[in-house]
Amino acid sequence: MKKNNPRFIITAFSIIIGILVAIQMKLKVESIAPVTVKSIQDTKNEINKLNNEILELQEIIKKREQELEILENISKGDQNIVDILQNDLKFNMASSGRTSLEGPGIKITMFDNMDSEIVGFDINDDVIHDVDILNILNDLRIAGAEAISINDQRVVSTSEIKCGGPIIRINGRSIGTPFVIKAIGDPKLLMASVNAPGTYGDTLRSVFSIGFEPEIQDKVVIPAYNGSFSFKYAKPVGEGE
Amino acid sequence: MFFALIGILIGAVIGFLLPYTYNTAYSLYISVAILACLDSVFGGIRANLEGNFNIPIFLSGFFGNAILAAFLAYIGDRLGVPLYYAAIFTFGGRLFDNFGAIRRIWLKKRKSI
Repeated sequence: MKKNNPRFIITAFSIIIGILVAIQMKLKVESIAPVTVKSIQDTKNEINKLNNEILELQEIIKKREQELEILENISKGDQNIVDILQNDLKFNMASSGRTSLEGPGIKITMFDNMDSEIVGFDINDDVIHDVDILNILNDLRIAGAEAISINDQRVVSTSEIKCGGPIIRINGRSIGTPFVIKAIGDPKLLMASVNAPGTYGDTLRSVFSIGFEPEIQDKVVIPAYNGSFSFKYAKPVGEGE
Repeated sequence: MFFALIGILIGAVIGFLLPYTYNTAYSLYISVAILACLDSVFGGIRANLEGNFNIPIFLSGFFGNAILAAFLAYIGDRLGVPLYYAAIFTFGGRLFDNFGAIRRIWLKKRKSI
């Protein structure tokens, strides 16, 4: 018995190992890959990517469903296709500047330095240049201006602003001082974009003493663009969605 | 040697018949612990063949190694360093060492008979 004692104990503990192995096998763990911080992060990134993709796809589905609804309404006869096309036309006219627009916004009056003594070495520092107007326009656009006009000339995508000596040329017409820039948008934001300290408009006024008077207006009327769009070189590519 | 194999087989049958399982999350620790236990049993067989088997040494080795191996795996998981490799290499290497010694003793015995 004493001689068999170690064998007995080893057998008993072998049984324990056997039980553990069997239970482990029952769990059917496919493989235990070493989990490192990097692999966890990689997996996280992948999950995030997939989630984003899912969100995007869901948005696309929503859009498509809306389009489908419109089309279904057309087939039902609830909404006339002519109405839809006309709405489309109105929207396109408005966004290309073919209709007069009104809304809250600001009106900026700009004129040359009227003082008898000039500021800089050069008289050029005291007059408004095309670049000044362009910078102001850009500031307004950054602030979310939806429609802009200068002296009742609508600024559209093809509008040029060209230096013509004491005047500037826009949409092929010459305009002189005072320049009246009107813009529709969030009035406070537009005002801040040209009037806040450090902006281009503020510099014009305080450094170059050029007349620069912005004012908020509840109702700004911006006329339609009355020139013509002609495409000589550009052609639409395919069918836009 | 053979009684250990028979013991493992009996244990496997019992394990398959038993309805108990543990959480899959612990499977890594248990598998490393199994390796440590196997090494202890092989060491026990070797000691038995060499004639210096000591029950306290065997018991402490069996449980101590298993717990240390599982603990290493756990700590490694927490730290993000695969520390259980240490257990796998150590016990795996010792397993083959023990098996080599057992083989030699066994073959010598057969020769002498």
